[in-house]
Parts: sequence; C-alpha cells; structure tokens
Amino acid sequence: METPPPTETQPRFRLLPDSWTARAGVLLLLGGLILTTGSAVYSHWLAVPPVNRPLEALKADYVSSDSCRSCHPGNYASWHASFHRTMTQTAAPENFAGKMDGLELTYGALDYRVDRQDQSHVVRTKPKGAPASAYGKPQAIVLLTGSHHLQIYWTETGEGRTMGQFPFAYVIAEKKWAPMEQTFLVPPGNKQVYDKGDWNTGCITCHATNGRSRPGENGRYDSQVSEFGISCEACHAGGREHIAQNRNPLRRFALHWSDKPDPTLANPARMDGPTATLACGQCHSISAYKDLERTKALAREGSNFRPGMKELDARWVAQPNSTDHPVERAELLQLYPHFFGDSFWPDGMIRVTGREMNGTMASPCYKGGKFSCMSCHEMHPAKTDQASLTAWKEERQMKPGMAESNQACLQCHQGMAAKLTAHTHHAADSSGSSCYNCHMPHSAYGLMRSLRSHQISSPTVRESLDHGRPNACNLCHLDQPLAWTAAKLTEWYHQPAPKLDPDDRTLSAAAQWLLKGDAGQRALIVWSMGWGPAQKASGHEWFYPFLTFELNDPYAAVRYAAWKSLQTLPGFAGHEFDYTTDDAKQKEALAQAYQKWWFTVRKPDGRFPAQTILQPNGMFQQDVFDRLLDQRSKRKILLAE
Amino acid sequence: MHTSDRHLRFGWRSLFVFLSLGLVLETLHGFKLGWYLDVSSEIRRLMFTLAHSHGTLLALVNIAAGLTLRTVKGFELTNAASLALLWGSIVMPVGFFLGGLVIHDGDPGLGVVLVPLGALLLLYGVGSAARSLGKITPAK
Repeated sequence: METPPPTETQPRFRLLPDSWTARAGVLLLLGGLILTTGSAVYSHWLAVPPVNRPLEALKADYVSSDSCRSCHPGNYASWHASFHRTMTQTAAPENFAGKMDGLELTYGALDYRVDRQDQSHVVRTKPKGAPASAYGKPQAIVLLTGSHHLQIYWTETGEGRTMGQFPFAYVIAEKKWAPMEQTFLVPPGNKQVYDKGDWNTGCITCHATNGRSRPGENGRYDSQVSEFGISCEACHAGGREHIAQNRNPLRRFALHWSDKPDPTLANPARMDGPTATLACGQCHSISAYKDLERTKALAREGSNFRPGMKELDARWVAQPNSTDHPVERAELLQLYPHFFGDSFWPDGMIRVTGREMNGTMASPCYKGGKFSCMSCHEMHPAKTDQASLTAWKEERQMKPGMAESNQACLQCHQGMAAKLTAHTHHAADSSGSSCYNCHMPHSAYGLMRSLRSHQISSPTVRESLDHGRPNACNLCHLDQPLAWTAAKLTEWYHQPAPKLDPDDRTLSAAAQWLLKGDAGQRALIVWSMGWGPAQKASGHEWFYPFLTFELNDPYAAVRYAAWKSLQTLPGFAGHEFDYTTDDAKQKEALAQAYQKWWFTVRKPDGRFPAQTILQPNGMFQQDVFDRLLDQRSKRKILLAE
Repeated sequence: MHTSDRHLRFGWRSLFVFLSLGLVLETLHGFKLGWYLDVSSEIRRLMFTLAHSHGTLLALVNIAAGLTLRTVKGFELTNAASLALLWGSIVMPVGFFLGGLVIHDGDPGLGVVLVPLGALLLLYGVGSAARSLGKITPAK
C-alpha cells in the first residue's frame, strides 16, 4: 500500500523559517548561545590553573573581596585603593612598578635580562660579560610584593609552586633598581636577603591572606592562599556566613535601622582595644611560633586565627620585656639569641617598622582597654573619591585631621589643649608642640627611612645614654648636646639630671651619633637631617659636610638616607648619586658633593657653632672628628623588618 | 475628563518633571558632587538614574496610551486600569528616587518598597490595555 503524497493542508516540520532574514536571526542567536556556553564551560571546567606559582584557592569559610563589593562599594573602593590590596600581586604587566621589558642588570657574577613574552615577563641569566648568546633558560616572574616604597619580584623555579627571588628590588620613588640587600639595613656584604622558598614559608604569612605553605618533599612547596594581598577577610572574619544571612533584605534593613553590630562578621572598628589591635597585629607585630606541631599545622592548613579572637593560634606576640609564654620564650632565645636584638632597642622598644603592635602594647594608653590602631587610623574613610583616597593612603591611612594635628591624642587628653604651651614649652604652632614629635619620635626604621615609634613615651636623656636610642629632643634639635636636653628636661619636667661625659656636655648628640654611633643610629640621624622640623630647629647649614661624608657610609641604607636628606637642602635639589655603586665611586661622589657645598653653597660668612664639630668656617674640627670616628661602633646591625 | 486627556496631560507633565530630574543629575555630575558620584554612593546614583529613566519612559507610555485611546477605535481602558497605569507611573519612579535619598552601603533606603507596588500597578494597567487591544476586531 502506498503512502499518500503530502498535501498542502498537512503541517510540515521546518528546522528554519522560510524567510532568509529570519534564518539569519535564528543562526545569530544560536551562535551567541554556543559562544556563551563554550566560554562558561572553558572558564569553569577547562581552564588550567597556573602551576608555577602559589594558587589562589579560598579556604572553606572565606569569601573573596569581590564578593563584598556589591553591598559595600565604598569600603571596597578604599580597600582597593590601599597598599594592603597590592601587598602581593600576580605578575600581570600592569602590576609592575618599573619598566621591565629589555631590563639588563648585573649582580655578583651574573648578568640578568628581562624580556616580555606574551602576557608575562621572563628573566634570563648569563655569566657576567659573556655574549648575549650565553643567556640561559628563561624563568617567568610570577609574583610581585609591594607597591608603595619597594617592589620585589618572585620567579618560578621549575619546582612547582616554590618561589625563587629576582635579586633586585625596584625603589619606586627613585625609579631605580637596587640589589635586594641594599634596600634593607643589613651589614655590607650580606648577600641575597631571601632564598628559594622563602616566599612560601615567610612572606606568605602576611603578604597574602590565609596563606598555606604546604611543604612537600625535597624542599618543594605546593602553596595556596585565599587571596593575594591583604583582603577583606584578613580583617573581617566570617564573610561566607555574613553573605548567606544577609541575602534576606528584612535582616539587612533591621541592621540598618539598629545600632547593633552584625554578629556574623568581625569588625575591628567595633572591637575592644586589645582585640582590634590584634586584628592588625596578626601581621603588624613581631611574633614567634609556639611549638613545632602548631607550626607544621600552620604550614599545612594556614592560620586558624580570625579577627575577633584574643590570641594568635600558632604564634605569640613576642615582647622582650614580658614574662608571658616562658617556655616558648626560653626555646626561642636558645635557638635565636639575637631574636629581640634585631628588632628592638635594648630597653624593649620596637625599632623596626611594620611591627607597630609591639609598640602599641607597650604604651600606657593601651592599658585602658580602649586604645587601638583604630584610635588614629581608619581603613575605610567616608570620602571615596579618587583624590581623597589617594591623600588618605599617602597619609598612612590616618583618620581625618589626625595626620598633622594633635587631635589623635586630644581624643583622650582633652585637658591638654588648654595648657598646650605650658606643657610643651614650645610655641603652639611650632613642631615642638606636636604630640607626635615628642611622644612618637622617628626612632624606628624600615622601608629605607625613619618612621615614628608606635610606643608612646616621653623623651629622656637616659634612653640615649643607656640604650643608644636618639631621644625625641635631640632628633629635632640635632645641634644640641645631651647636656642641653638634660637641662631642659630637668627644668620643665623635673627629670633627674644624669651624669654626662665631657663630649655629651659640649658636642652635638646627633653629630656624635653620626661619627661614633652604629649603623642604626646613623640611619636615624641622617634621615632627621632631611626632616623639615629638625632643619628649622637646628639650622641646616652644618648638615652638608656630615651628609656628604655619609655618602660613603659602609651601610647602603645609611648612604641612601644621607643622599635623600642632602637633596632636601638648598643647592642640592635633584643631586644625583648612586648609593649602590662601589666604594671608589662613592668616595668620588663624596668629594664632588663636598666641593660643590664648599665652593658654591656654603655661606662664606657663616659661623658654624663649635658643638657641631665644625670650625667657624665650616671645616671639620679634625682632631675631634678623627677621635670620634675612631670610636665608631663596629657592631653589625641587621634590622629585621 | 476623558481618559485619553488624563493620560496625555499626565504624560506630558510627568515627562517635564523627569526630564528636569535628568538635568539635575547632569548638574550633580557637572559639579562632581561626592554625595552623588562617590563610589560609596553607587546605589544612590543607580536609584536616581532608574528614577529618571523609568519616570521618562513611563511618561511616554502614558502619552502613547492617550494617543492610542484617541486613534484606535474600540480601544478602551477601564477606570481602574487607567488609574493603575497613572499611579504606577508615579509610584515606581518616586520609589526609586526615595530609595536613593537615604542609602545604607549597598542597600537603598526604605522608600524603594514603593517600586514593586508601582510595578504591580503598571502590570495591571499595561496588561489591561493589551487585553483591550486584543479584543478589537480588525476592520476588513
């Protein structure tokens, strides 16, 4: 039986419409659908994670900072603008502070060359002076640390996620490359600050969020972090629960209309002083590991400390003068006798930057239970336009009006405002009436400069005599001897007058520290010579010969600070000097700078005070100069920043 | 007043109001006011932009409704549908605007609850208009 032929009345299945326009439209829609599906499949299931650097993998209860953006755009913007975010970045071309393509540098016995290959930069090395054909196998630069003062570069090693170090740092302000060890205050000849794997074991703890070293066999690491840089979760624990709970708009509005904190999220701004300080201090402190087992657990799983907790989990904040953690303390000092000496002054005051919690804890203000980092700093300013955010981050993330006023201290010491000059014995508008300058002087060092101590204290001559720390008075009055300071402190604050040797009665304390002090003291003094208030209080004319002399200091960090201070003086703006160059060229530069000062800048009729160890015409009092220089401390200084 | 007149009058007046709001927003841009432009005010900017765009669009919808009523024979809007369309065109953009006046981080102010109410009114009004048009037999 034959099937009847189809008639016009029977419907016919058609894959595409008859009209060519409609067909084109359908095909376009189909193509778009395929492309969208394909890209989704690729990005979610087929994309291969990098194998030559630590991996970003969120730990169970962590969320990424991007998750916070939609509900907290202002806070996200301030975090995004901050140097915290860029503490560690992947080596995308736009993240490099310096120009990399075609960069050629020499370090030790090796020549280094950096080239761009697609979206990455690679380093090749060859023996110094060998032809270009001798360049070896390229190694990709995969991670960058820092974006404010210095940027440090980490390379693949061919050993999984174990990081190697590019031996140069980029000094951002100078747009200059410097060997790594010449960006720290370390003894001359101290080569290679970091070794292979150091990022995975050391830097990962605080230059990324929730880092897990994950050591494997043969010194290899399979490191993971929840996020590169310091993310929202570093300070606000509980993001996942917070997001889940606040999907409910009724809950959100109930919180908006109440003053109660959201219990799902840690917020240092609402914590008591010590707890809030520890949230910052998990990184901004000198800490030591409690025991081997917890150290191993930390390496495997990362820290279980979350902001809001009262104590770190695997580490303890190590204060030299405390009696806490006696067992751990004894073991620590047995293993590392210099542990405290590398970071603290002999009286226990912290002397390196980035470890502010140690100073804060030792401050009298801290004992009240309310004082914390949040008393003076804010992580999320109200104004979020680009200009305000830039000013805020450059002003050390201070609260409005607190950077250069006494407002931070007056929050509690309100009565002091009315009797300011009676207390300071300085004019109200002078730098001597700034609380910071006397109670938080620039006696800490790091990132190639002096920084304010975060241990709030009052200046004494004893701290200088007994512990070698330049006191606040003589860090500003650089031309005055300790006897002058002692007399003022006795007269104004009834401090007992210490017994002083003849030099301390007659010679500038700062000049003495420069000539016979150790590298740590010298670095602080040469930096202060570039500090406006000190120049105003001490007269800067006598700084020139000292700063030019320090261009040949054995310590690179001191040479750098001397050069930068010299540039602040009239006649030396933009003065060029390569602080990383060899000794002979340093001496040559010293001589040129000295001659420039002597013949073109020095005032011929200038009368240089005798206590500055200069003759009236500006030449050194050679006998005193030589005697003090002979006494120069040979103690090796290594400041563990 | 005839229904078409009501929609036409409302449409043109509303168009004037929400175009003026656009001018205000441009002025806020012009003077770079952080209250409107800062990242922390993102939700305010979104709410005001939505108020401006919805208000303007709905004004045009009302003008279209008025013209349709005048030109399409047999097309009618019940009084309820007409009022729903009118009030929806007010309530929704005003809800966006009030939601942007006071904000809470990434959340708009409580005024935003007017938006879904306005949306329901609009759905009813527009749906009624569509149904009414569907019933008209085309002239042969």
